Amino acid sequence: MSEVRDFVHKVVPDWCPGCGDFGLLAGLKKALPGVELEPNEVMLVSGIGCSSNLPGFINTYGMHTLHGRALPVAQGFKLANHKMTVIAVGGDGDGYGIGVGHLVHAMRRNIDMTYIVMNNAVYGLTTGQTSPTSGLRMKTKSTPFGNPELPINPLTLALGSGCSFVARVYTGHVTQLVDVVQKAIRHQGFALVDAFSPCVTFNKINTHDFFKTNVKDINKLGYDSSDIHAAFREAAREDYIATGIFYQKERPCYEATEEETLHVPLIDHELGLSEEDQAQLMAEFI
Amino acid sequence: MSSSNRKDSVIVRIAGAAGDGIASAGEIFGRICSRDGLHVMAYNAYQSAIRGGHVWLQLHVGSQKTLSHGEKPDVLVLLNRTSPPVHIPDVKEGGVVFYNSSLITEDLSKMRDDLTYYHFPFRELVNEPGVEAVMVNVMLIGCVLQVLGLNAEVGLNFVKERLGKKGEQVVQMNQRILKLGMDWAKENAKQLDVSLKGDGKRRMFLTGNHTFAMGLLAHGLKFYAAYPMSPSTGILHYLASKAKSHKIIVKQCEDELAVVNFVIGAAHAGVRAACATSGGGFSLMTEGIGLAGMMEEPIVVISVQRGGPSTGIPTKHEQGDLIQMVGASQGDFARIIIAPKDIEDAFHAAGRALNLAEKYQTPVLVLSDLFLSEHFQTAEPFQVKLPIDRGKLERSVNGQYKRFLITEDGVSPRLVPGVPGGMYCSASDEHDEEGLVTSDVLAGLPEARQIRNRLHAKRLKKLDVMRAEDMQPPTLTGPEDADLTLMGWGSTYDVIEEACQYFKREGLRVNHLHFTDLFPLPVEKVLEVMNSCKEIIGIENNFTGQMSRLIRMETGYHIKRSVSRYDGEPFTGEDIYHRVKKELTYV
Repeated sequence: MSEVRDFVHKVVPDWCPGCGDFGLLAGLKKALPGVELEPNEVMLVSGIGCSSNLPGFINTYGMHTLHGRALPVAQGFKLANHKMTVIAVGGDGDGYGIGVGHLVHAMRRNIDMTYIVMNNAVYGLTTGQTSPTSGLRMKTKSTPFGNPELPINPLTLALGSGCSFVARVYTGHVTQLVDVVQKAIRHQGFALVDAFSPCVTFNKINTHDFFKTNVKDINKLGYDSSDIHAAFREAAREDYIATGIFYQKERPCYEATEEETLHVPLIDHELGLSEEDQAQLMAEFI
Repeated sequence: MSSSNRKDSVIVRIAGAAGDGIASAGEIFGRICSRDGLHVMAYNAYQSAIRGGHVWLQLHVGSQKTLSHGEKPDVLVLLNRTSPPVHIPDVKEGGVVFYNSSLITEDLSKMRDDLTYYHFPFRELVNEPGVEAVMVNVMLIGCVLQVLGLNAEVGLNFVKERLGKKGEQVVQMNQRILKLGMDWAKENAKQLDVSLKGDGKRRMFLTGNHTFAMGLLAHGLKFYAAYPMSPSTGILHYLASKAKSHKIIVKQCEDELAVVNFVIGAAHAGVRAACATSGGGFSLMTEGIGLAGMMEEPIVVISVQRGGPSTGIPTKHEQGDLIQMVGASQGDFARIIIAPKDIEDAFHAAGRALNLAEKYQTPVLVLSDLFLSEHFQTAEPFQVKLPIDRGKLERSVNGQYKRFLITEDGVSPRLVPGVPGGMYCSASDEHDEEGLVTSDVLAGLPEARQIRNRLHAKRLKKLDVMRAEDMQPPTLTGPEDADLTLMGWGSTYDVIEEACQYFKREGLRVNHLHFTDLFPLPVEKVLEVMNSCKEIIGIENNFTGQMSRLIRMETGYHIKRSVSRYDGEPFTGEDIYHRVKKELTYV
């Protein structure tokens, strides 16, 4: 049985003091022992950005890949070794901007994995430009007169893309975060967890105080997370910011369609063809 | 002409519109010939349209190996009304033309009077329910088999095997129509003055895409991803059809950005993984190629060139992406580029690429082109020559594991993730031997510079080892003391050999220098071969002479003369012969 300390890495995160990503890292380290995972059983895959440095700060297997490409790498890995638990992490620019095409397809594809997006509504590592989730009229270095574009709503996007597990948390509320992440990992299929993770340096609007004041855990309100209409309604509401599990529906994950091949993980297959098999392949062309 | 001097090869062209069943008719004809022990080389000229447009297939059939699809056809088969004016001018003097006069009603003999025209009204001969118009193709094949003096039984048996699944009725109808064609031609057409003698070996009739795919499968491929793009899609189709029976994962992804990164993920997990695309898709993969270079992931990418730039001429041939391969992605990293010379070589190259990728833990780029990937050719069944070699792949860990351990050959032990006690993180950022990134906190410190120097040199050390241990110098075939050397690379091997035969017939001493291992070039060995040549002329299917440019960049050797073809059609030997002669007259 693993403990939180088994996941502690010798490298200390270099995020700004107060960064929301610390909450996510702490929550993840707590969540993993609770779902009975050992450090060697987890593959964390990230893209590029402040939050994408996370795999370097936790003691599991990790891949810190390209901006926007965490999901394809993670999915390829999962199909090749589906016995490991695959978690992709990154920021809103990574997942909802440059990589949003992959996100849509990953959600409908439904490979059994979890994707946690540390959403701070700003580009932090490049020192404060507008992001796909920046609010309308938000002033940033690249939009000094205010952001002219509507922000993406990741939850309605996910609900409309066939995502089988859709959730949102605020990284300052670690108890809820641990619970949701554990359920996301246990969910058989693609789970999206949008995690509000304030950037204390470049976003002066969506701060810790802002979230503490405005979020409401809908799972505590007698909410039915199997009702997709309710999920759309909660995801779109403007009077408060809903958090929790909006929608969960088990449907066969992608790996189930490859049951015969993935009976044994690909990495454990024998390689090459017998001479008979080779001859058979050639004969098809004669 | 006495019978012993009769020609032992013939060129047949089938022309019409997309949707007329040319490819299928051509394949049936080609496979009947290849089962009869003959050699066939077929080239399909098509367009990016599913119906309509102008397409033709040319088959060069011979008792000996045919090295190209040839230039002028001896036999022309016309399937639609618009094809006569396009193709009749091309036919060899004294050639023959077959067509269906129910469809083509005009008098073609006015177009050329040296040709012999054979036509029959298909609708009048076969007017029964269930016989579709496209079945005239079967009758035309029957005619051609007859005038070439080929074995009727082989044809009838092939039809039976090919259509067996569709039921006895379909088999019988097709056999009857094939026979009708043979009988009609026996009565109405003259046998051609050609002696085609098969050697009794039943050969395969297939394309380079088939052999690439089969080669991957035979050498331990477990994961394949792709986004459809001509002319690489044949590999996807073949592997998808074999995925269940051969227990591999074949994934069509949302774009090529996803494709290359799926492959990187799978390779990182520890399976043999590959993908294929064409230049445009490869452009999208470029960042991923660099990621595989930096994270030292063994991936194989087959790029099947077509006419560029941009969308270019999607269904036409070119060798214009070499420089793109050499320069793909930012920064310096080790990569291998190989370009197989023919369809058999493609089978072995696929296996070699998988081995090299794992040996060096770096991207291996296999450069094909539309001609190699899509032309049909006869070949004897291949045998796997290279045993699967997974390099420094490890499935257990002793003591502290360092993913990027500095070693003499630059290659570190590669642990399959999942092993207890081996946890590490691979990063696209510069990192140390353990994989810890240097770019944030350490950036700018002397320690970070030292790590950078050591790890960068480690990764690039692989280039030296590749040159010394694996990269082959070009082959030189033909007379050693030739006055002129034709230099080519990749798929032009056979056509340049054919061109050399033309020169030989004229008494000229011409030989052939051919590259299949393109990068990194084993410089000294290359120069040794090239310095033995008197005058080299580059033969390339691109405008700027990309291989000549690469040779000059890597070795300093300047190939001053070149023959470039970039109209979208592949070379033939005859074509090269004429172009080289023309180039030489400009001395």
